[in-house]
Amino acid sequence: MDTKWNGTEPENGGEVEHFVAAQVRQTIEPETAEETAPKRRGQAAGAVIGFLAFVIGVSLTLGSLGAMAERRLMQRGAEPDWSGDWQNTQEFRDEVSSYLMEFLSLGATGTTGNAWYQTAEAWDVAEAGGWRRQYTEIILKDTAAESRPVEGEEEALTAGEAEGENAYRTGDQNVLYLIMQDGHIRYKNVEADSAKPFRDQSLEGYNFYLTYQDGKASIFKDGVELDVYGDGIYVSGKSPWFIPGYENLQAGEWLDGATVYMAVRKEPARYWFQDSGGGRYYYGRMYQVAQRAEEARTFYIRQLVLLGLGALWLCVWLAFRREKKLADAKIASWTGRLWEEVWVLLALIPLGWLFAADGWQELYWACREIWWGWEPVYMGQLAYGAASFLLSSLPGLIALGWVLYLAFNNRRYNPREQRKSLLRSLFRMARSLLRTLRMKDLERPVEKRLNRDNGLVLALLLLGFTCSLFAAAVALELMMRNHWSVEKWLLLLAGCVVEGALILSIVRTFRHRRLPQDLGRLNRQIESIRAGDLSTPLDLPEDADLRKTAEALNDIQAGMKTALAEQTRSERMKVELISNVSHDLKTPLTSILSYAELLRQEDLPPAAADYARIIDEKAQRLKTMVQDVFEVSKAAADQLPVSMERLDLGKLLRQTLADLDDPIQKSGLTFKTDLPAEPVMIDADGKRLYRVFQNLIDNALRYALEGSRVYLTLKTAERAAETAGLARVSVRNTSRDELPEGVDFTARFVRGDESRTDGGSGLGLSIASSFTEACGGTFQVETVADLFTAVVTFPLAETEQEAER
Amino acid sequence: MNECILVVDDDPEIVNAIAITLEREGWQVLKAYNGMEALDHALNPEVRLILIDVMMPRLDGLSALIRIRERRNLPVIVLSAKSEDTDKILGLSMGADDYVTKPYNPQELVARVRSQLRRYTLLGDIHTAEREGVLVNGRLTYDASERVLRADGDVVKLTATETKIVDLLFRNLGRVFPAEELYRRVWNEEGYACENTVMVHIRRIREKVELNPKEPDYIKVVWGIGYKMERHGA
Repeated sequence: MDTKWNGTEPENGGEVEHFVAAQVRQTIEPETAEETAPKRRGQAAGAVIGFLAFVIGVSLTLGSLGAMAERRLMQRGAEPDWSGDWQNTQEFRDEVSSYLMEFLSLGATGTTGNAWYQTAEAWDVAEAGGWRRQYTEIILKDTAAESRPVEGEEEALTAGEAEGENAYRTGDQNVLYLIMQDGHIRYKNVEADSAKPFRDQSLEGYNFYLTYQDGKASIFKDGVELDVYGDGIYVSGKSPWFIPGYENLQAGEWLDGATVYMAVRKEPARYWFQDSGGGRYYYGRMYQVAQRAEEARTFYIRQLVLLGLGALWLCVWLAFRREKKLADAKIASWTGRLWEEVWVLLALIPLGWLFAADGWQELYWACREIWWGWEPVYMGQLAYGAASFLLSSLPGLIALGWVLYLAFNNRRYNPREQRKSLLRSLFRMARSLLRTLRMKDLERPVEKRLNRDNGLVLALLLLGFTCSLFAAAVALELMMRNHWSVEKWLLLLAGCVVEGALILSIVRTFRHRRLPQDLGRLNRQIESIRAGDLSTPLDLPEDADLRKTAEALNDIQAGMKTALAEQTRSERMKVELISNVSHDLKTPLTSILSYAELLRQEDLPPAAADYARIIDEKAQRLKTMVQDVFEVSKAAADQLPVSMERLDLGKLLRQTLADLDDPIQKSGLTFKTDLPAEPVMIDADGKRLYRVFQNLIDNALRYALEGSRVYLTLKTAERAAETAGLARVSVRNTSRDELPEGVDFTARFVRGDESRTDGGSGLGLSIASSFTEACGGTFQVETVADLFTAVVTFPLAETEQEAER
Repeated sequence: MNECILVVDDDPEIVNAIAITLEREGWQVLKAYNGMEALDHALNPEVRLILIDVMMPRLDGLSALIRIRERRNLPVIVLSAKSEDTDKILGLSMGADDYVTKPYNPQELVARVRSQLRRYTLLGDIHTAEREGVLVNGRLTYDASERVLRADGDVVKLTATETKIVDLLFRNLGRVFPAEELYRRVWNEEGYACENTVMVHIRRIREKVELNPKEPDYIKVVWGIGYKMERHGA
């Protein structure tokens, strides 16, 4: 255990040192403020860099990620092809497959429209218990490909010229073909009359060769044979080639004997033709496949580069993230001047952008489905809808993001009460307007207000009555025309009840018209009682509704009158009692003092002379106490006469110090005073206030630690908008004896020293407190450990008005 | 001199104590224990001054004072346990020449009695001395031309600075002078932090002039404003 303790000690020591060092740094730092000026400039630059890096980084990252996600989600464009070989894409394989399908159909039927593969027999290999057959009939769509007889081909493109290639004669030369049926050439777009160039793969510029013969296809690309069928089973979406010849995907019997040779150009060209209107139409299926593959590649490369750049900027932001917060705060201080509604408007612009992009339709359909009935699968649809809505316009989304960022940044740095809001201020204005109107209304006597309201109600009731009578007459007239039924009787009864209620209401309102007057009188009576009239009772008529209330009020008034008289009497008696007691105490005290004095003048033995001195001293103290008790009691009974005048508190303090200069010099205490040179004008009774400070200084002289310092300061607090200025005098000293805790030093006969052997009456602070309050100031005593502080506060006199005069 | 002083109080011990004190100073003392007795003795022509309590049986001091004033013109000092300003003002307005509160300080009482007697006997002198440039304020007179201050007819020895202060205050009875102004006019210098200096001089003048320097009647501090010479009746 010992070693452990020893081990921790240096650590603690280190912590203390660290703490002290931090404190020292803190105290030094303000002095080196000049050195921090360039640092602050550096911070500003850092803030700009950090913020820009954040904006650019986030925009780039989110923009590129969003663009890629949108492309994937919307299945727009081709699959990316990283090697740059357009013939290595699924789209190319699909295109080749569909060409083959068309050629087979062409060879067999003369048109491309109705070719299909039959009896696609799919075995689900994973299915336990044997092979299961699935019959699927895949009907090939009539695609955009035209029928191409050798002769007709030329016509199809005669109107235009091939770009780079002479397509005038041969049509679309991106795909060359030779279709044979039972050994005879049926269709072709090559000059050669045999399949030899295809078999030799010797066509110039063509690197992809497909041969379909005897229900199987073989493919050579750049002279290398590709594996077409894999394990021989076609799995939709997995097998690369949709070509007959699989075990479960066979060509129909009607395709027996069909042989197709086709070759695809390595770099396909674009064709165009001109229509009668002179417009150019571009054409070239393989060209498009190649273009789309290239486009997808460049798109993804570009987005990845942008993503990388974004990440780079985000790294810069991370390095400057502390400074960036300064930028946030600065921006918040600018945006704080805007109305909060501006954010809503600003957010509406990118939102409109988003809606304009049509992406919302997916979301709308998803919501509509859910509206008709919830199914868990809709969750995905909803997510898809939301994503497609959000991704439909990336710039809009990013703009919306930044608007929201600025709005939240504004909220974060500007407290609620500092933020401006048009709606809130309008609301506040409306409310204050209503309140002013109401206050204005309240200034009118209560009976007038009630009379007006009653009149309004009466008028409405009469109007209602008239209208309902008219309605009843019409209804009755209508009812009379037909025969009577129970419903009609009930309706009539209901009508009578309504009419009766209306009549009753009118009568009651009319009867109560005298109530407002009585209320008004009652109100005025209460007002006059408050103003001090306790002699005139309120006499309401016998039958008035408020008669009882008025009587109760009269009783209260009478009670108050008695109580007040009682209180005045007892107050007077109290003062008289104080006065008498004081007098009765003083008379014997006079004798004691007189004879003590006479005794001291006698030639007494030393012991007796000492006794006489003690009697004299104690009697003197008794005299002070009686005087003090008298004054405190008068002050407590609020009977202390004060003559208020405008005086300079600083001067009063200086005079008091000068007056008490002798005892101060003798005490050995040092008085540290801090009094302003300019006058501090207050309204008070100078004599009483002198006693206050005399007592406070006397208290310090009596109880302060020998040789210590006493601090006497006068400070003024400036007059604020609503609070009056304050003059604050504090007397602080270190007590000689320990100060007891929880003692109210301004209470009578309380001293720090409980033994009461000192010469004080124990009333000094009590007198100071009550005199201060009698003059309109406040008196406080605070003790912290041995530090004793008395604080006297007075409101400053209105000097500005005097200056104006 | 052997002037006779009438001491009136319902407390015989107090009367006795005052009598002893006054007799030691060489005065004769007549004693009375209520207002009626006081009236009887007051007509005695030997009596030159009356010391009278206020709260007494049969006839209270102030009523007795009014009746005495109807018959005789002599100094009356009211001696009362009522120590409030209102009581003092009431006593003085009823015709008392001075007001001493109980418990009194014997020396102060003697001083006040002496002052009243001197003023009373010197009254004729004062009137004859009422010539050009002599200002009178209660028991103080100031000869402005000779710059001499007298208290109860005795010349008060003042230093040059004290004389300047008295001169200023006496010529402006009742006016309050802030310490700075007093300093400027007496020392002919701008006064900063002069409160102590002024207060020291004021205190010295009081010790020479006032009967009880701790509770001055003439040279007063107006707290928070300045200093003044209180105006007193003749």
